Amino acid sequence: MSDRFSMTCGDCQELLSRFIDGDLEQERSGIVIEHLAVCAECTVMCDDLSAILVQCRESEVGEEVPPNPAALWRRINNLIESELPAEIPVEPERKGLFARGWNLTFSQAGAAVLAIALISSLLTIVGIRHYFAPPGDDISLRNETPSVFTRVLRKVGLAETPQQARDRRFREQESAIDYWNKRVQTRRASWNARMSEAFDRNLFEIDQAVNEYTMILQNDPDDQLSEEMLDSALNEKMNLLRQFSEL
Amino acid sequence: MFSCPKFGWLASHPGKTAILVCLITVLFLVFPVTDISAQKRFSQTFPAGQNIRLQLINRSGTVTVEGWDRQMVSVTASLEAPTAVITPQTIDGTILINLVRDNQGREVGNVNFNIRVPVTSSVDIETLIGNLTVSNVRGGLVRAHISSEGDIELTNIAAFQVTAQNGIGDIFFDGEMLSGGNYRFASLRGNINLRIPFTSSFKLVATAPSTRNISLGSFSNGGMNYLGDGRRVVGKFGDGNSTLSVTNQRGSISFIRR
Repeated sequence: MSDRFSMTCGDCQELLSRFIDGDLEQERSGIVIEHLAVCAECTVMCDDLSAILVQCRESEVGEEVPPNPAALWRRINNLIESELPAEIPVEPERKGLFARGWNLTFSQAGAAVLAIALISSLLTIVGIRHYFAPPGDDISLRNETPSVFTRVLRKVGLAETPQQARDRRFREQESAIDYWNKRVQTRRASWNARMSEAFDRNLFEIDQAVNEYTMILQNDPDDQLSEEMLDSALNEKMNLLRQFSEL
Repeated sequence: MFSCPKFGWLASHPGKTAILVCLITVLFLVFPVTDISAQKRFSQTFPAGQNIRLQLINRSGTVTVEGWDRQMVSVTASLEAPTAVITPQTIDGTILINLVRDNQGREVGNVNFNIRVPVTSSVDIETLIGNLTVSNVRGGLVRAHISSEGDIELTNIAAFQVTAQNGIGDIFFDGEMLSGGNYRFASLRGNINLRIPFTSSFKLVATAPSTRNISLGSFSNGGMNYLGDGRRVVGKFGDGNSTLSVTNQRGSISFIRR
């Protein structure tokens, strides 16, 4: 009995939650009831706590069972579908002229139109020239004078002049000829007399042709046919040296 | 004693007899022995299909290739001293004989080849010195290349691609020009003569810059143009179905109607 009357309000309030849930043993539950009967403060607290717990239980029950499961799944599906487009990769940030898309300024648009017109004109000229080309090998056209466009490019230094191109090509051929000539000199000792004589005669003929075309080109640097023949003669010299160096 | 009236003159001229015996000895012993030791022979045959390709790279000597109706390739060669090594190889339908590679660094004598191939074969021959002759071949390719001196003679040829090139020497082609074919002849110094049917159809670029001696013969027509002061002829004969390029650096070019 002493236990019954010795329960303080603090002890009672600690046990109130378990009391309302019905978790307390029968004996301790009786002591709480006796205290509530004599203590108005703890009784008010017990009523408040009970109201809160009842409210909580009611709301928990409402969430556990959806009112319309099919509608709930439709909502979920709609949510997923509405989020899919957002997963499309975002284009990288554009830089430079197209940073603003095709929003060109008036001057940029004008320059673009002029560039397109110039390129298409050049392509048309080239196409017409090829279309009306006479039958035969392209080599036959080499005697023609260069076009205005080519001459302009040469003037501004964007294209090689015929003389520059020829000099560069001949320098390359001469260096190759020097290489093979050195190899021939090392091998020549093992040749028989007939081989040596035939080699010398052919080399002499080629050198004669090279000298002839070189002289013509000195007098007329634009003689494309002599340039072509000189190129061919130097190639033949290179091949002769190469083939005899393999003996 | 024994006596023979037929040898009485010999018995009476012992000095002359000795000279005669010596001469006979030289004729019957020395020359044949020298000849046998200098000349060796090589002979080998290869089974061949229709599209066999023969590739021969010789050093010096003559090469004769002739088409025949048998499905085999016959290679015979006479080798002069010092004798060359010949090791033919068959690789992917090509019979390859490379005397330059097989005898590198050695001094060898002339090797004169006589080769028979199926008519439909492709023939690719190179040599440093010596004449090349190809006849009766109607395959895809005929190529004859002499690095220095020698004549090239191509007769009764009907191939889609024909190339003949030499240094000092003549080139003679007697054959057909097939539609879509490609024909190229080049020489440093010599005469290039082309004997082709009048029914041929080709686009021509012929160049003889030194002599300007380009004789078109029956093939001269309004479609031919002389360029560069007559150093080059460019034009079309017939429908221009094939391509013909002829270059002679220091010689002449002649067309002959077949």
